[in-house]
Amino acid sequence: MSINTGEMKDIKEFLYKIADDQLIIGHRNSEWTGLGPVLEEDIAFSSIAQDKIGQSLHIYEILHSMGEEVPDIIAFARKAKDFRCSHLTEYPIGEYDFSLMRNFFFNHAEHLRFEMLASSSLEPLANLAKKYKGEIKYHIMHSDTWVKQLGRANEESHTRMQSALDKTFNLALGIFEESDFADALREVKVFDGESVLQDKWFEEISSILDKAGLVIPERSKWVPSYGGRKGQHTEYLEPMLEEMGEVFRLDPKAEW
Amino acid sequence: MEYIDPRVNRMELPANDDGKEIIESLEEWETYEVFHQKKRGEQHIHVGIVHAANPEIALLMAKEAFGRRRQTANLWVVKTSAVTATDYEDQDIFETTPEKTYREASDYYCMDRIRKYQEEHGIEDRKEERRKKKEVRVK
Amino acid sequence: MYGNAQIDIKEKSKSLIEGEDPVKLAEFEARIIRGEKIEPKDWMPKAYRNQLIRMIEQHAHSEIIGALPEGTWITRAPGFRRKLALMAKVQDEVGHGQLLYSAAETLGKTRESMINDLINGKSKYSNVFNYPALTWGDTAIIAWLIDAGAIINQVTNSKGSYGPYCRALERICSEESFHLKYGHDNVVYLATGTAQQRELVQDALTRWWQPIMHFHGPPDKVSEHTEILMKWKVKMATNDEMRQRFLDEYVPKIWDLGLTIPDPNLKKNESTGQWEYTEPDWEEFKRVINGGGPCNKERLQVRRWAEERGAWVRRALMKPEQKYTVPLA
Ligand SMILES: [Fe+2]
Ligand SMILES: [Fe+2]
Repeated sequence: MSINTGEMKDIKEFLYKIADDQLIIGHRNSEWTGLGPVLEEDIAFSSIAQDKIGQSLHIYEILHSMGEEVPDIIAFARKAKDFRCSHLTEYPIGEYDFSLMRNFFFNHAEHLRFEMLASSSLEPLANLAKKYKGEIKYHIMHSDTWVKQLGRANEESHTRMQSALDKTFNLALGIFEESDFADALREVKVFDGESVLQDKWFEEISSILDKAGLVIPERSKWVPSYGGRKGQHTEYLEPMLEEMGEVFRLDPKAEW
Repeated sequence: MEYIDPRVNRMELPANDDGKEIIESLEEWETYEVFHQKKRGEQHIHVGIVHAANPEIALLMAKEAFGRRRQTANLWVVKTSAVTATDYEDQDIFETTPEKTYREASDYYCMDRIRKYQEEHGIEDRKEERRKKKEVRVK
Repeated sequence: MYGNAQIDIKEKSKSLIEGEDPVKLAEFEARIIRGEKIEPKDWMPKAYRNQLIRMIEQHAHSEIIGALPEGTWITRAPGFRRKLALMAKVQDEVGHGQLLYSAAETLGKTRESMINDLINGKSKYSNVFNYPALTWGDTAIIAWLIDAGAIINQVTNSKGSYGPYCRALERICSEESFHLKYGHDNVVYLATGTAQQRELVQDALTRWWQPIMHFHGPPDKVSEHTEILMKWKVKMATNDEMRQRFLDEYVPKIWDLGLTIPDPNLKKNESTGQWEYTEPDWEEFKRVINGGGPCNKERLQVRRWAEERGAWVRRALMKPEQKYTVPLA
C-alpha cells in the first residue's frame, strides 16, 4: 500500500510513543540491577529491562529508515518535550511492589498492542510483533506470577500490592491516551486505536488481578494520567534523561 | 551526603548497625535442581540450582539464570529434597570386572568358522568377490 | 584475593591437618593426586572445607559487590550498544554471585548466613570494589583490566580440586570472555577517540593502577600451610604468579594504545622473564581491606538497603513446611 506524507508523520508519531515507552520503562527497570530482592530475580528483571530497551532500539531503527535521526541521537540527545512516553514509565523505581505492578500493567498493554500490530498493514510493524512475541510472553509470565503470588501471600504483601495498584492504576490508564492521528491510522489499517486496546487490556488484567485477590478502582474514580503522548511529562522525566545522556553529551564529536 | 552513584542518591541508606542478622534463616527459600535440554530429542542435563519459594517461581528464575545464554528447548526444576542419590562412598558398586566381555559387541567374531565352512563346502566368499570388483573400479 | 586461598590468622597457629583421621586423609589426598575431583558429600579435612567456604564465599561477595560500581553507570552509559552490553555484563556478575553462592552452599553454609556475614563485615570481598568508579573511563578500565585479573584467577582456580567450584568457574569463564572483549573495546574507543575521551581513560588507568596491582593480593609467605593448600589444589598458584601472568598478558596491550602506566619501574626483565615493578603500597591495601577505603561503608550500606528492601518479597513466600536441603552439586 502507498502511504502519503501525512500518514507517514502519523505513523512516526505512533512508533515514537511505542519505543519511548519501552526505552523509559526499560531504563527504569534497569536501575534494579544488582539491587533486586533475590539474586535470581535480579537476573530475571535485568533481562526484561534489556529486552525492552532492545525492542525500543529496533523501533528507532525503523524510524531512522523513515528519515529520522540515528537511534543513539533519538534516545540520548532528544529533549523531554519531544518524548512521547506515558507517565507510568517515567516514575522512579520506588519499592519493588511499585516496579512489579507498573511492569504488570505495562506488559499486558504492550503484549496486546503487539498482537494488534501483528495484523497491521505495515510490514515492519507486523514483523516486529512476531519477532518479540516470545520475549513479551516471558515478561507476562513473570509479572503475572509475581502479582498472583504476592497478592495472596501474606498480609504485608497483599497490602503492598494493593496500594501499588492504587498508585499505578491511573498512570497505567495514561498508556491509552488517544492521539490526534488515531483515525488516520485506523483508516490505513495500521492500528485499531487505543480505546480498543484499553478494553482488551482491562479484560486481561481483571482476570489476573481477580486471581491475585486485588481490587481495581471503580470506574467512577478513574482519572487517567494523560499528557505524555503530547510531550507533557511528569517532573521525573527530565532529570532521568539528563542522567541518561550525561556521558553521551560530554563530547559531541566522540564515538563511544 | 552526595554519592557518586546517582541511584544511591535516590535511596535512603540504612545505618550500618553491624551485627544484626539481616536475613533470617530460610528466607532465601529452598533450592531447586535445574535440568536443561538444549534441543528437542536431546537429554536434559543438570546445570545448577535456583533458590525459589515454589516450583512456579523456580521455573521463572531458572529460565533466565540458565536459559538466557544458551540454546534451550525445555527446562525442568526439581526440589533438591526430592532427589535421592547414590553415595560417593559406594562408588565401587559401579565397578565392573574385565570378564564381562560377553555383553560387548566386540566380543563376538565368528568369521573364522564361516570361512572354514566355506572352504570345506566350496562356497564362494562374497567379500573376496567384492574386493576384486573394487580393484577393477579403482583402475 | 578475588578468591585465592589466604590463611586465616586463627588457623595460623595450628596445623591444617590436626586431629584428622590419617587413613581418610591419605585416601583424600590420593584422590586429588590422581586428578579426581572432590564432591560435596565426600569426606574432607575440616581445614579444606573451611578454606573453600571462605574462598568461594569471598568470590561470590566480590561478584555482587562488584556489580555496584559498574551498575552505577548503566543509567549513564553512552549509546544503545554500551548501555545494553553493560546491563548484560553486570547481570552476568550477579549471575556469577548466584553460581558461586550455590557452590559454597554445597559445603554446608547457607546463602542467608553468607550474605549476613558480608553485610556485617565478617566476610570480605575483593578490595578493588572499595574504590569508586568516578567516570565512564573507570567502567571501561574495570571491565577490561579488573575482569582480566579476575579471569586469570578464575581460569587458574577452575583446575582446582573441588567439583562444584570448578563447574561454576567454567561457566563463569565462558561469560567473562565477553566481559573482557567488551571492556577492551570500550577502552580502545576511548583511547583512540577524541582528546577528552583519551583523557578519561588515561585518568582512570592512573587511578586504578594501584588497586589493579593489589588485585591478586600481597606476596604469599612460604609456609607449611601454603604447601598443604597447594597439595589439596585449593590454592593453584601464588599471588605473585598470578600477578606476573596478568602483567605479561596485559601490559603490552595497554602500551599498544599509547597509554601511560603510572610506574616508571615497570618493565620485563628479559633474562628472568619476570616483570619488575614498584611494589604497591601494601599498608594501604591492609587499611582499605579493614574498612578504611573510600567506599567500604557505602558498598555495605547499599547491599544492606537491597536486602532490607527485598525482605518483604522473600518473607511473603516463606512457607512453614519449607525445609532446606543442601544442594546436590
Ligand atoms: Fe564475574
Ligand atoms: Fe566479569
